[in-house]
Formats: sequence, structure tokens, C-alpha cells
Amino acid sequence: MTPNPRDITVPDAPAETPAIDARGLSLRFGEVVAVDAVDLHLAPGAVFGLLGPDGAGKSTLIRLLASVLRPDAGDAEVFGHSVSTEPHLVTPRIGYMSQQFSMYPDLTVAENLEFFGTLRGVAPDDRRTRARELLRSMGMTEFAGRQAQYLSGGMKQKLMLAATLMHEPDLLLLDEPTTGVDPVSRREFWRIIASLHQRGKTVLVATPYMDEAERCTHVAFMDSGAIRTSGTPAQVKTLVPGTLYEILAPDPRAALASIAEKPGVISAHLYGEVVRAIAETGGPNAADLEATLAQAGVAVDRVREARVDMEAAFAYLAEFGDGAS
Amino acid sequence: MTGRFTRIAAIARKEFIHIARDPRMLIAVLILPAIQLVLFAYAINYDVRNVPTTIVDQDRTPASRAYVATYRGSDFFDVRGELPDVEAVDAAFRRGDVRIAVVVPPGFARDVAAGKQAQVAVLIDGSDPNSAQIGSTFTRALNTAYGQQLQATWADAQGVDMSSMGRLEPRVRTWYNPERRSTDFLVPGLMVVIIMIVTTQQSAVTLVRERDQGTYEQMLVSPLHRVELMVGKLLPWTILAFADMVAIVLLSQLVFKVPVRGDLGFLGVSMAVFVFCSLGIGLIISSVAPSMESANIAALMISFLPGFMLSGFAFPLDSIPVVLQWASLLFPGRYMMEIARGVFLKGVGWAEMYDQLVYLCIYAVAAIGLSAWLSGRRSR
Repeated sequence: MTPNPRDITVPDAPAETPAIDARGLSLRFGEVVAVDAVDLHLAPGAVFGLLGPDGAGKSTLIRLLASVLRPDAGDAEVFGHSVSTEPHLVTPRIGYMSQQFSMYPDLTVAENLEFFGTLRGVAPDDRRTRARELLRSMGMTEFAGRQAQYLSGGMKQKLMLAATLMHEPDLLLLDEPTTGVDPVSRREFWRIIASLHQRGKTVLVATPYMDEAERCTHVAFMDSGAIRTSGTPAQVKTLVPGTLYEILAPDPRAALASIAEKPGVISAHLYGEVVRAIAETGGPNAADLEATLAQAGVAVDRVREARVDMEAAFAYLAEFGDGAS
Repeated sequence: MTGRFTRIAAIARKEFIHIARDPRMLIAVLILPAIQLVLFAYAINYDVRNVPTTIVDQDRTPASRAYVATYRGSDFFDVRGELPDVEAVDAAFRRGDVRIAVVVPPGFARDVAAGKQAQVAVLIDGSDPNSAQIGSTFTRALNTAYGQQLQATWADAQGVDMSSMGRLEPRVRTWYNPERRSTDFLVPGLMVVIIMIVTTQQSAVTLVRERDQGTYEQMLVSPLHRVELMVGKLLPWTILAFADMVAIVLLSQLVFKVPVRGDLGFLGVSMAVFVFCSLGIGLIISSVAPSMESANIAALMISFLPGFMLSGFAFPLDSIPVVLQWASLLFPGRYMMEIARGVFLKGVGWAEMYDQLVYLCIYAVAAIGLSAWLSGRRSR
């Protein structure tokens, strides 16, 4: 009943050259294996979410794919060109947005776009029209003359995205573009990614936010340099066996303590003020959980069955990720 | 090919914006060199003048007073009163009140009148060897002149015509800088040292900053070649260094009255190549330095010390140890120093100095190539 998460891979579109085809891609920094034999396949047009905790190796993987770093072992092809032997054929087709702010702080928004557009070989007339169009679509027209250092966090991220879009790349490699950005700007950023997806661009986006994974066509969970699980969000969610229950209680910590060890409860965690417990199929239901809590003398407002979301799926996979359950 | 020039121009334009928007950098590049020139030119002064001098006249006769008056009449000596005895001289030397003491012993007038060899003692504080050296030469010259004058007076008194007597008179002439004014010698050298310091310093931090800002990664995913990046970064600094050179030449003319006798066109071309060399050194530092701080310090060490010591600025290169003479070949200052002094003082140009310019050109190409190679090795 519990499928091995490793069995699920993103299906290739066989007729097309994959946007990314990485095999055994590895890079170590001294003793640390930052990226450990990663296989990754992205069909053109995918919005691929790369999830995982800090230090999982997401940034290093993205930099390898951007040909900014060279792999120790393995290779990756981007639209059929090797990142290690033909980087000059890879870079024109990709836009790379680093996690760190990488615009010139003392140059204005327009000057940054002009500069990076020029470096990327965009013709002068196209530079102007594209910069104007990108700023308009991102609602940044009035900030064109502002120095980048005086932009808000969300604006800075949008400027970086605009700069990576100046040469109209087919593949976007975005390294945690929404980290540290306010919720409104995050939503707006994803609206832009959605419109890029509609225009047929391929997007690989690293994020620590599980809710953002729901917006992707495909996701992969990375930990300790390796990809543990990948698939569509729906596929990943089916990896969670049993039923998810949410318990609302005045003292959620006490509620968590009283049900965590109950037979049939596979996993129980606190999310804010809500206890989320996964019960195995045929295990305790909502009424059973309520009874257990009542027995322990813990006051309960409500126990309800919830839909498995990415948050729950990855919490489960982080705990039992290697197929052991 | 057009793409290449477009990219170099984009880098150069961006660098100009950085400079224009950073007032501290503007001051460091355009105003500090002028201040440095003035400060250095006044502080480092080898001219010896107005040396504080005291007199111990133990003879107290008209003859001794006439002799002492010759010191008062010279602007080399600044006679500051008289002291009673030699012990007082020791105390005055220790306090640093005076550097030279002229002691006229008792019996001076008697010996002169008797036609005997009159003795005077000139005590010199040797703790400043430069003025001591010049001081001793000067007093010897003064005494010789005075002695000849005495001879003439004596001979006259004896009714002997000295003009018929053969005499040997050495005439030493100093060429190119006849008054041996040290500013004439220093200012062209200072121009070289100052421009080297400013340009090396500024370019040393530039690549480190690109890496810190993450903009270097964006360059890596663009078709920009590393040599294009280097050349683009060099252009604005070359122009600014030129502005510095013009300012320094004007200052040296107007303030220090240093003559410029040679070919200014040759000086300009050489200076441009020299600036490329200095910037190349800065870029090499920038390619290997792990942080802004270490880049700054390394640039300071590499531009300041060899700039002063191994360029021939402070010491003639012939007089430094052979190992250091070899080391001096590794820094562009020595070639430019030859050219600058040659143009300013000797009035030379292409014909006499082209070999130094050739060395500079080789140096510039090697330095920029090395920096591009090093920065590439680091990022990949």
C-alpha cells in the first residue's frame, strides 16, 4: 500500500529535447557532498519546484545547472547541451536568479536592466522595449529611475527576475526568489511565474515554502545533497498513507503529547496552534482520537479530517522519506 | 566583434556610474592625489638650508668677528646667537637647538696675523646624515674661500702680486638640475608613485566587490569574456588617471615651478600604458583576494612599498642590493620613473626612452592577461 517514493519520476516527453537532463550530477566542497549523484529530468514547459531545508544543496544544484559551477562527476544537459563542456551554448537559453541580490545597488532599475540586457547581447531597441514592457507587467514602471538599493525586498526580487528575462531565456533557474519577501509580493511573484508558464517557459524554482509547491507542475524534495522524492504534487501527496486529522485544542501541546504514542498514529506534529496527525488506513478515526484525548483529560475544540497538502506530505517524507514506514 | 565592443562599453559606462555616484571615490581619485603631491613635495625635501648654527668665539678679536660674519652672511647657516664654551654646544646639540657649532679658539687673530695656520673647529651633529654631509662640505668650501681671501689680503699687505701666481680651481657643474633643487627631482617621481597608488588601490577592490554583490555570477552566465571585463573596467580608470596626471603636471608647473623640458605627448602615452600596468596589478590582487579588506591591504603594500623603494624614487636603483634590483624589475614604477624624470628634467622623448615604453607595454599585457587567467581559475 505504501509505494516507494523513489519509484515515481517525472515522465519525459520523449519527442522533445528535455529542458534539463541531469545524470549522476555531483559536486563536493572538501568533505561535504553538496550535490550527491542527482538525476533530474525536466520536460519543457514544466514549473518544477525544488523543495528542501536550508543546506540541502538546492543552491549548488541550481548553480551547476546554470554552469556557474562545474560538476565533479556526472553531467547535465540543458536543451541538449552539456553544462560542463558547452556552457556557452547553455547560458544564452537560461536565466539564472541567485538567492543573493545580484543587481548593482547604485545603479537605477532601468540602468541595471540596460546593463544586463547589453551583456546578454540584446539589441539596443529591444532592450528599451523589453525593459519597459517587463517593468509595466511587474507594476514597476514608476520605479525605473530609482537606485536598486532603495527598493523594497519584493521590488528587488522583481527587478532581478526582470533582469534575467531581458534576453528571453527558455529556462529560468530561480534560487529561492521569494525567501524573505512579504506575502503579497510572494503571491504577485507567483502570478508572474504562472504567466511565464503560460507562455511556454520552463521554470526550476527552489523554495523552502511548502505552500508554493502546490503551484508547481512538478516537485522534488531534496535533502543532504540528494533528491529524495519527485513527482507531481498529486503524486507526492498520494505517498502519504492513511488519513490526515487536524486537532484544534486550547492546549495543543498537551493534545499532541496524548495522541503521539497512540497505536495506529504514524506521525503527529504541531503546525502553529494546530495538531496534525496521520493515522494509518484502518487505524483510529476522528471519534477514536477524540475519545483518546478525553481519556487523557485534554480539552478539545474539534477534530476534523483534512486533505493531505504538500506541507503534510513533506513533513511525512522528511520523517520516513527513504520508503521506510 | 561588435558584440565584444558593446559589452566592453557597457562595463566602462557602468564603472563611470559607480564612480560618479560615490563621492568618497571621487575625492579619493581626483582630490587626494593633488593633496598627496603637495604634502609629499613639502615633507620630503632634501634641500638643506638655514641650518641652525651657533658660534663659540673664544678669541673675541676683530679678526675672529670678521671670520664669524661670513657664516652670518650665508643662507646655508642660520646663526642663532653665541655660546660660552664647548660644553654648552653639547647641551645645545642634545636639545636639538642647533646642528652646527663653529668654535674659534683663543689665539686665532694672532695666528692669522703671524701668517701661521689658524685653527677653527666646526662641530656637526651627525644624527641627520644628509644635512651633516652637506654641512661639512659647505663649511669646508666656506673656509677655503675665506682662507684664499686671507691669503690675498696678506699678500697684498706684503706687496706681492697674487694675480700672477698660477692657481688650480675646480669647477663642478650639475647638469639638468643646476641648482640641485630636490623638488625638481621629486615631483616627477611623485607623479608616478601617486598614480600607481591610486589606480592599484581602486582596481584591487573592484572584482572583489563584483563577487560580493553576486553580480559576478550574472557575468558568468553571459557571453562576456573575462578579458572584456578587465578592459572595460580599465578604461574609466585610465581616463581618471589621466586627469590626475594633468593636474599634477599643472601643479608642478604653477606651484613648484618644476620645468617640463621634454615631449609631453610621449609622457602621456607612457602614462596611459603605465596606468594599465598599475590597474593590472590591482586586478591581479582582486582576482585572488578573499575579501575587500585583504584586497585593500594587499594593494597598499604592493603599491606603496615597491612604489617608493623599488622604483628609484627614494634611492637610486644602482645603490640598492642586487636582489632588490632584480625585484624592482617586477614593478612597473621603475620604467615610468625613468620616463617621467627623463621628460621633466632631461627633456627627452621617443628616441631616448622608447625601450622603457616597450617594457611597460609588455608588462601591461602580461598583468592584464594574468589577472584574467587568475579570475577564471578561481570561479571555475
